[in-house]
Amino acid sequence: MARFLESVNFADPYFPVLILLAIALAMAVGFVLLSQALGPKRYDRIKFGVYECGVDPLTPAAVRVSVKYYLVAILFILFDLETTFLYPWAVLFRSLGLFGFIEMAVFVGILLVGLVYAWKKGALEWQ
Amino acid sequence: MFLGNLDSLRYFLPEIAVTATILLLVVLHVVSKNRESSAPGVLSLVGVGAAILLAGIVPPGAGKAIFEGMAAYDAFAVFFKVLTALATLVVILMSMDSRELAGRSQAEYYVFLLSTLLGMFLLSSATDIVMVYLSLELVSIPSYLLAGYLKGKEKSTEAAMKYVVYGATASGVMIYGFSLLFGLAGSTQVAEIGRALAAGKAVLPALLAAVMVAVGFGYKIAAVPFHMWSPDVYEGSPTPATAFFSIGPKAAGFAVLVRFYYTAFAASDPATGMWRLTADVDWPLLFAALSAVTMTVGNLVAVQQSNVKRLLAYSSIAHAGYMLMGFVLLSPAGIQAVLFYLVVYLFMNLGAFYVVVVVSNALGGEDIADFTGLGSRAPFAAVSLAIFLFALTGIPPFSGFIGKVYLFAEVLNRGVYWLAIVAGLNSVVSLYYYARIVRAMFLADPKDTSAILVPAVPRAMLALLVAPTLIFGVYWEPVARLAADSVRMLVF
Repeated sequence: MARFLESVNFADPYFPVLILLAIALAMAVGFVLLSQALGPKRYDRIKFGVYECGVDPLTPAAVRVSVKYYLVAILFILFDLETTFLYPWAVLFRSLGLFGFIEMAVFVGILLVGLVYAWKKGALEWQ
Repeated sequence: MFLGNLDSLRYFLPEIAVTATILLLVVLHVVSKNRESSAPGVLSLVGVGAAILLAGIVPPGAGKAIFEGMAAYDAFAVFFKVLTALATLVVILMSMDSRELAGRSQAEYYVFLLSTLLGMFLLSSATDIVMVYLSLELVSIPSYLLAGYLKGKEKSTEAAMKYVVYGATASGVMIYGFSLLFGLAGSTQVAEIGRALAAGKAVLPALLAAVMVAVGFGYKIAAVPFHMWSPDVYEGSPTPATAFFSIGPKAAGFAVLVRFYYTAFAASDPATGMWRLTADVDWPLLFAALSAVTMTVGNLVAVQQSNVKRLLAYSSIAHAGYMLMGFVLLSPAGIQAVLFYLVVYLFMNLGAFYVVVVVSNALGGEDIADFTGLGSRAPFAAVSLAIFLFALTGIPPFSGFIGKVYLFAEVLNRGVYWLAIVAGLNSVVSLYYYARIVRAMFLADPKDTSAILVPAVPRAMLALLVAPTLIFGVYWEPVARLAADSVRMLVF
């Protein structure tokens, strides 16, 4: 232990991070234990009920979401990201020149293949 | 000196070939109506074949830092590109006549397979932590899809789910390690990180980061204690995909492990030519322990398996342990031994899986009981499997023996005797469970004695895989030389 402490460099710029970690851990565990030890214990129906903004819960929260939402979300992210790449390219269009144009055409072309695939697979249809 | 994007393209030809093939496959899938057509398989074969030819077309020389330092083009990367592409080639042939995959969309399967290959290409050449992470995910995500490809089969879905959860956790831990490294070095370049660590005094965060990164890489090579996912994934996945997982991503994992650790945490000592690690930790001991535990757990659990696919999964964990032996030593000769072992392992392991595919195509199962009497029912497949299994054990005169000789020799040269003893004992244990399959094939009486017809393509492929397993057992010098040449890594 003593040798280990000698080997620790307290002037290390990361040492405060370690202290922060230790304090965070102590606080998190400490408060859970404290409320266990000190808090009043009244276990009744209302206490065990699910908390939902003060209103009695109406339905279970774990409902099935249609898989179509995920498809649309994924497609949205894909083409949203495409636009985030298109904007800076459009702003710098002149200075990037022909090379930038070809590079962007390849990028958009690859995504276009993806769009055709999604379209043909029926990912855009909502029944 | 970093090459710009346009100049880098001529060092990026195999990747471009694979990408073009993937896009063509997607288009083909949309256009074609016939789901049973063999066109996607043939197209993938052509694409991967072209990638192999293109991989060595520009001599790597001393190596180049391409794409502004994102990746390296050096002998080490070329070696792994050819190795993983060869594995993919065999797996494509295996998949084309697999009964498990029949009736399912073929083109999409090959898209996932080739995307993984592209990821492995990038992983073996990545020199920037952003690139390492990105390519690791590019290997992982299509792998999840491959594992769950038998949609509707419970085991396959379970495999995919376990793979995703483990994979996400492992890469989460790894990228946290990366963030610590970035904080220490102020650069995402692995070489810059190495320089910062060599100069800096921050031992504790560096050690923490090294361990966290080891989680990510250890998961890819399925080293104990990050191996939990592999038996279930190997059992549930379609067998060709299992064969692929047991060599492809594993080889790429070793590539990135070696490149990353030797660039970031080790510095070449000009006096001895040995690498020395920068942090004040007994690295060799740490990795030696990892290696010993990995091979022991893999082998001991394999003994209890009755499903051949699962058995081979545990045996592949054990082999990852053997290969870690070479990594422990921090010497070029050790890495050479790992590369050599990967080559012989490629042939013997894919061969063993090929026979499993043949048997499960014919009989619909892959328990040891299904192999009973295979010696008389399908003599060629049975003899091939016996050769592969004895090679995996490391019995002369097969190639696996030479691979082990290289690994053991380096360990003994460096005086790590206990590790050599552990590995020796492990080889004896492995003989027991490999020999159980051989006994079932040749010594047990089958209930059903009808002959199993092995089609021409698997027959030819088995012959092609047996040949190197036999030849490299007696004449291995070219492979050893190739491995020695490929150890040269670009450090800039």
